[in-house]
Amino acid sequence: MSPSLAPADVRSRVERDVQRALQRGRNGLRYAAGTSRPKVGQTPKDVVWRRHKAELWRYRNDDVRLAPPVVIVHSLVSRSYVLDLYPGNSAVAFLLREGFDVFLLDWGVPDEADSGNTLETYADDGIPAAVAAACEAADTDEVTLLGYCFGGVLSLLSCARHPDMPVRNLVLMATPVDFTGMEAITSLVRDGRLDPEDIVEPAGNVPPEVVENAFRLLKPTAEVSQYATLWENLWNDEYMEGYQAMGQWTRDHVPFPGAAFRQTVEQLIRRNALMDGSLELGGRRVDLGAIRCPVLNVMAERDHIVPFAAAEPALALLGSGDADELRLAAGHVGLVAGRAAAKVTLPGIAGWIADHSEPV
Amino acid sequence: MAGKPLWRQAFDAVDRRVSGPVEAGARSDAFADALTVGWRLSRRMQREVERRTRHVLHLANLPTATDVRRLSEQVSALQRELRELQDRRP
Repeated sequence: MSPSLAPADVRSRVERDVQRALQRGRNGLRYAAGTSRPKVGQTPKDVVWRRHKAELWRYRNDDVRLAPPVVIVHSLVSRSYVLDLYPGNSAVAFLLREGFDVFLLDWGVPDEADSGNTLETYADDGIPAAVAAACEAADTDEVTLLGYCFGGVLSLLSCARHPDMPVRNLVLMATPVDFTGMEAITSLVRDGRLDPEDIVEPAGNVPPEVVENAFRLLKPTAEVSQYATLWENLWNDEYMEGYQAMGQWTRDHVPFPGAAFRQTVEQLIRRNALMDGSLELGGRRVDLGAIRCPVLNVMAERDHIVPFAAAEPALALLGSGDADELRLAAGHVGLVAGRAAAKVTLPGIAGWIADHSEPV
Repeated sequence: MAGKPLWRQAFDAVDRRVSGPVEAGARSDAFADALTVGWRLSRRMQREVERRTRHVLHLANLPTATDVRRLSEQVSALQRELRELQDRRP
């Protein structure tokens, strides 16, 4: 339909375009000067447990209506503030409004002293201790454990190796189990072109730029399209806030501890050991069948980092009799941040957890 | 599509044509091989530069990146031992 040529309509369109051009100029200057960066991770919280660099945060909530509390386990390669991006775009704040007592296990930024951290460090020490601390802080016997991305893998390993851990429900979000489904991001190390030792820097960890570039290679033209979308929406303050927060997060990776990376390459990527049950940690085989609590496997349809093929087989590997799947129209990050998260993904996840919780 | 400006429609049309082949290229064996060679070369160059500068800096009795790294490794080892002691504390 061609636009109306009535003088009033033309005038209003011109006025709108002039207004937007002015706003575009203002926002463009602010963006270039870096003066309008949104503050991330603003939801009030308290540190309730700390071990080395790992911290367990409890978000303040005077209106807890559901139990058990939700303990979120974040990934090892990115910053956890993606779960609490900024007011109005925060998965944590959404869960708080739904009436949950929310904890977040943040692994911190590893340095040379953490290069020896293995998968056992997280699955055997970090998660069980954090769950115990959450139970103590909330004065409860159980928690709902929610693992996002590689945090989901760590949660799976922890639950499998510690079946007595007080986890009532387990939620896996964008969690890879079949690493052959992540061909694009793993091919360099899977095929033996590069060994872990080629990638680990002298400080003993995988540098964050390597992680960032690996993700960037999955969609090499995405950055150009993002700039086009930025130009199109530069006038829109709300869009700019989200763009800057997300942009900050996607460039803000953390080093992957070298020892855990070596195990990930050797066992999870090259041997795909979660799928054939041959994964061994601390000299003991990991039996995912030992996980018998209710499980929700959340997958994103447009996830190019952890595609369906990598996440889908999870439930078949577990011993749970109450296992559900949630396939959502979102991308990897869209599961937890952005408009789709607030409207589609988070309500679905919160609904399932609420069904598996009880009123306080 | 209706609300998008013309330049954006044109951009999207080009993007649709280009992104598929570029992504396929980035996932090809040839690209992976090139990346591997580039990676190894840059590492080798880094080592070579370090080796040569180390020689010059040591002549002037100045510490090199390798010396700092060794010190840093020792500090980290101490940190780890401290942690182990902390963890063992009842």
